[in-house]
Amino acid sequence: MKNILEVKALSRIYGGSKKNQYNVLKNVNLQIEKGEFVSVMGPSGSGKSTLLYNISGVDRMTAGSVIFNGQELSTLSEKELSKLRLHKMGFIFQNFYLLKNICIFDNIVLSAYFGDNANRQEINDRAMELMKKTDIVELANHNITQASGGQLQRVGICRALINDPDIIFGDEPTGALNSKSANEIMEILADINRRGTTILLVTHDIKVASKTERVLFMLDGNIVAEQQLGKYVKANNDIQAREKRLSGWLMKMGF
Amino acid sequence: MISFVHMRAQFFQSNSRFMLIKIIKEDFLRKKCITLVLFIFIWISALLIAIGSNMIVELSHSLSDLLAQSRIPHFIQMHSGKMNQTDIELWASSHPLVQSEQTVEMINIDGSNVYLGENHTAEINSVMDIDFVKQNHSMDYLLNLENQIIEVSRGEIAVPIFYMQSEKMKIGDRVRISNRIFEMDFTVVNFVRDAVMNPSIVHSKRFVVNEDDFDMLKKNIGEVEYLIEFQLTDLSKLSEFRNSYQSSKLPKMGPAIDCHLFKMINALTDGLIAAVIVFVGFLFNIVATLCIKFTVLASIEEDYREIGVMKAIGIQQKDIKRIYLSKYVVLAGFASAVGYLISLFLNQLFTANMMLYLGVAPKSILQYSGPIAAVALMFLVVIVSCMQVLRKFDNITALEALRVGTLGDGVAEKKYFSLHKSKFLNVNIFLGLRDLFRRFKMFRLLFLVFLVCSLVIIVPVNFINTIKSPGFIHYMGIGRSDIRIDLRQTENMIERFNDMITYIQNDIDVDLFLPLVASQFKVINSQGVQENINIETGDFTVFPLEYLQGAAPRQDNEIALSFLNSEELNKGIGDPLQLVIDGNKRNMVVTGIYQDVTQGGRTAKARLPIHHETALWYVVSLDVKPYVNIKKKIDEYAKVFYPARVTDLEGYLLQTLGNTIEQLSFFTIIGILIAISVIILMTFLFLKLLIVKDCSQIAIMKSIGVSLNAIRLQYITSALLVLNIGIALGTIVSKTIGQGMVSAFFSFMGASRIHFVIDPVQSYFIFPMTLMVIVTITSFLSVASINKSYIAHMIQE
Repeated sequence: MKNILEVKALSRIYGGSKKNQYNVLKNVNLQIEKGEFVSVMGPSGSGKSTLLYNISGVDRMTAGSVIFNGQELSTLSEKELSKLRLHKMGFIFQNFYLLKNICIFDNIVLSAYFGDNANRQEINDRAMELMKKTDIVELANHNITQASGGQLQRVGICRALINDPDIIFGDEPTGALNSKSANEIMEILADINRRGTTILLVTHDIKVASKTERVLFMLDGNIVAEQQLGKYVKANNDIQAREKRLSGWLMKMGF
Repeated sequence: MISFVHMRAQFFQSNSRFMLIKIIKEDFLRKKCITLVLFIFIWISALLIAIGSNMIVELSHSLSDLLAQSRIPHFIQMHSGKMNQTDIELWASSHPLVQSEQTVEMINIDGSNVYLGENHTAEINSVMDIDFVKQNHSMDYLLNLENQIIEVSRGEIAVPIFYMQSEKMKIGDRVRISNRIFEMDFTVVNFVRDAVMNPSIVHSKRFVVNEDDFDMLKKNIGEVEYLIEFQLTDLSKLSEFRNSYQSSKLPKMGPAIDCHLFKMINALTDGLIAAVIVFVGFLFNIVATLCIKFTVLASIEEDYREIGVMKAIGIQQKDIKRIYLSKYVVLAGFASAVGYLISLFLNQLFTANMMLYLGVAPKSILQYSGPIAAVALMFLVVIVSCMQVLRKFDNITALEALRVGTLGDGVAEKKYFSLHKSKFLNVNIFLGLRDLFRRFKMFRLLFLVFLVCSLVIIVPVNFINTIKSPGFIHYMGIGRSDIRIDLRQTENMIERFNDMITYIQNDIDVDLFLPLVASQFKVINSQGVQENINIETGDFTVFPLEYLQGAAPRQDNEIALSFLNSEELNKGIGDPLQLVIDGNKRNMVVTGIYQDVTQGGRTAKARLPIHHETALWYVVSLDVKPYVNIKKKIDEYAKVFYPARVTDLEGYLLQTLGNTIEQLSFFTIIGILIAISVIILMTFLFLKLLIVKDCSQIAIMKSIGVSLNAIRLQYITSALLVLNIGIALGTIVSKTIGQGMVSAFFSFMGASRIHFVIDPVQSYFIFPMTLMVIVTITSFLSVASINKSYIAHMIQE
């Protein structure tokens, strides 16, 4: 299958002078195929979120190459990167990061309205459909302060999907949720993946990672190991087995 | 964040002043742009307040000194015609209020016979009355530029400061007096500081010559006029003295003026400018205070979590407040000090005109302490405002700050327009507009600044347009006509006037004409005392005035009063008024009240028979036919009716108000530049602070793919909309309140209802478009820092 993302020798160094430099990512190499559901795990400070933001163009890499759908990100201007994020990528954040000055429905449709040939009615209809799928239709005209964490994350998912992106990036998407909500969110994401959208998550929750098909382990700024779990299918009722397998592997990694 | 808390905690552990300085320095360096803008606002405020208060103190001192040095008379009665000095001396010696009396002879020489400096053309058609005098002996001294009494020898002359400025005259220049039969040359040896006739709005100027030269002039050329001057034993009884003189049989063929009027007129131009400067400085202070309040709020917002941490680890609230306050004390203190120090170098520029006309008074402690006290007060206002805002600390609990991490917009959760319901507007424009309405309380500051700056620009510009407009003639008690001919008191006055009328009557180029004669009559005032009144007689329907109330007199028992006369005589429309003409009482009815800033604002108009015996001046106003060249006609009449003064109305206005217009224009330009600078600084500061506040929201939008330009457009939209609301309201307020304030000010001079003349292209197109371009560019530059907002950085922080 064709790779949607190819990362070669990616490095990210923070700090100005040599004395104060901090090397967060060290020569990271990674390929993600279209339709894959990948998670990245590792201890705090291993560079998981930094990896996510560098391969999505939110942050600028120091060295290396990131090719997304055949485009080298380091050669793109800020404007071009924005366009790429707008049309081809979706983001889900741990703290939701929704705009507090507009209602929930507007949060979902906002990025779609910036499209080149945006037909507002079509966008509104698509948003409504997504809200139905994620069971949050009644929140359309509510402010973000009037929804629970689980509901807000569903809003985040709808926002990420509104432009029918090629890939969704999630930074600890269940980090701020209780276990029930976390479970529901993961079921939604698994369903989205089944329909063909590539997903890359950062997480330190085994239960979340065990619903993905490939787990990458990061340590000290590099991917040191990976584990194939295969596609998650709810009907198989094998979630516990997957969690056990993953847990055993992580213990071997020292996590 | 960690270093911030760490440093502050260290400070309180060590209680070190060094740490405080370090914290303040770090804060200033972190927010260089914002600190700089705040500094500029406070500095300009301090500078203007120091300059303005210095001007007021200097003006007061210099004026008092000038009036004292020149021994200004308390009361002056002007008189042209015959008089008996013995009668005056007898009356004065027996009057209990008279301390001393002096009669000054002035030789009035027509401008057409006077040549100043290198000018080869005479002072024809100048509105100034040129008078030649000798130095006085007991009061009303004419002083030189060092405020010393002028002495001149034969062949020497001292020229009024007005001509030093307007004709660029210098010591050694020549002054020639020449008519067809007589000629006399003088060398300029000094310049006259004349406490009575200094300012340009006084239409008489006195040249000082030697006694022998004076006698020569008196014998050969010009008409003698008199100033009958008194100093009183008790100045508080001035109005009693005035009434006493008016009721006497002493000469009074001319206006009477007193020392209060001298003070006012001398102080007028510079006093007005000083008041404007202090006012603008005060406005800057308000803006600076509001900016600091906003900045402090934004700082608290930014440091909300850190403040919570400090409270959580046990640092006392008053100590946390002290850190924030220290920063603004240092900033405001430094900026105020710099403003004051720079004012010491700029003071001379602003007091130059005043120093020239009034002289330099000996320095007193108030001249140093006044501006310092004013600046100190301004500084205190800033600090007290800061302390008020810091009360917000009282509401911050450690737990809330740590959990929520944000102060919030303070915006109640109202339903505002939804993006998805907007069908046509561009997304960014919609979001910009929406944000403005949602957070209008915050944008209020920017709105206020735009409104005030619009007023600072619009009101003076409208006022200057009004003064420059031909219609301003209505505020001078004159109807509009193409040409105006002024005939002053000379020999064969009446024949010349009659000849003039005949000539004009037979001139086929003339469409309409109106002869007017201003004579002095007696009126019985509200206390039953007779006092002088100047009444112009003629047909006032020919070149009509605009009346405040009522209409022109049509019958011979009707009279129209100037605004000030109507106030002083306490007469309204329909009220009876008694005149005394040749010893007989004549009952009149007031039919109209008009505005007049000339002749001290005290004139009247009636259809009385011409009274040549007490005539003060003769005027003929006329309109020429459309095909006639007005300039050529003026030249013709100037030759034929010599020595009458012939001008068109624009020329008359320019000569009377030219200096005032020039000064006002200069300061209006300064005001416009200041207002534009404030708009730029304020827009820059406000948007920068807003971006700091909205940093997380901007990062989210960027992360989901909204471009930088799109985000910039949202802020620019908000700023432009606020600007347009500010301009619109500023335009309305200037036309109403602004116009009212100008009218209130001018009511003391005789014009109580000024209507601004507005140039629509300037006011409704050029000015708003210019400001919109400026605000757009400034907004664009100030939102450049949006680049730095990234989710990635937010996560790191």
